[in-house]
Amino acid sequence: MNDRKLKQLFASARKEAASAPPADFATDVLRAIRREPPAAAPEIIPVFDQLNLWFPRLALAASTVIVLCFALDYGLTAAGVPSLSDGMSQLSAQWLLTPTGL
Amino acid sequence: MNSTETASDDAELLERIRGGATDDFAELVRRHQSRVFAILHRYERDAHKVEDLAQETFLKAWRALGQFDGRAPFEHWLSRVAARVALDHLRKEKRRQNEIGLPELGDDALDWLRNDDEKSELDARSAAELLELAMRELSPADRLVITMQELEGRSVKEIAVAMGASGVAVRVRAMRARSKLRQALEKIAKEKL
Repeated sequence: MNDRKLKQLFASARKEAASAPPADFATDVLRAIRREPPAAAPEIIPVFDQLNLWFPRLALAASTVIVLCFALDYGLTAAGVPSLSDGMSQLSAQWLLTPTGL
Repeated sequence: MNSTETASDDAELLERIRGGATDDFAELVRRHQSRVFAILHRYERDAHKVEDLAQETFLKAWRALGQFDGRAPFEHWLSRVAARVALDHLRKEKRRQNEIGLPELGDDALDWLRNDDEKSELDARSAAELLELAMRELSPADRLVITMQELEGRSVKEIAVAMGASGVAVRVRAMRARSKLRQALEKIAKEKL
C-alpha cells in the first residue's frame, strides 16, 4: 500500500456523508438536561456551627497542651532546673527593677 | 451567516443560558448538531450509536459550560468535547471488538485494495468501511489522530489541544499510526484472499 493509494482512500472516505440528526434531536437533548440532577449548592455553615463542630477537637488539643506544660514543669523542677516563675523573679530583681533598668 | 456572526450569536445565546434560560440551549444544539454528527460519524458507523454519542456530547458540554471561557469559538470547544466523547467510545469499543471479531467487507473494497491501478476509484461508502476495518488495528488514540488529521482536516495544533498532548507528540503519533494503518490494510488484502 503506497502513499498515493492511502491518500486516495482517505479522499474517498471523506466524501461519505454523515447521517442527519433527527428532527427532534434538540428537544431530546433538552429533555435529558432536565432529567439531570441539579448541581448541589455549596453549603454555608455559620461561624458558631463551625466552632461547635471544631469544639471537641479544640478542647482535646488545649487539654493536651496544658497537661504537657504541667508535666514539663514538674519534670524540670524535679531535675533542679529553676522554674519559670523563679526565673522571672530573678530577672526582675536583677535587671528590670534596678536603677539602671527600666 | 459567516463564522464571526455565528460566534457572536453563540456568545449572546450562551449569556442567556448562563442567566438561566435553559430552553435556549436547544437553539445552540440545533446550530451545531450537524457538525457534531459529522464528527462522530467518523468514529462510529451505526446511526443510532452516533445519535447517543451526540447526545452525550451535548450533555457534557452543558455540564461543562462554566469552563467555556469564550476565547475560542464555541464551535471549536464543542468539537473538542465531541472528540473526547469519540475517544472514550473507541476505548470501550476496542474492548468489545476484541470479543466479537471483525465485520465482513464488500467485494468492491477488496478488489480496489488488491488492485495496483491507481486510477481505479472506490466509492465513499466502501472506502469508509475499509478504513473502519483497518483502523480497528489501531489504538484509540492513533485512530483519533488519523481521523482528525486525514478525514476532518484538522491541524496538528487543533489535534494537540483536543488530545492534551504536544504538537511533536501528535506528529510522531500520526506518523506511526499511518504506518500501522498501511500494514493493517496490507494484512486485510492478504487475509481476505
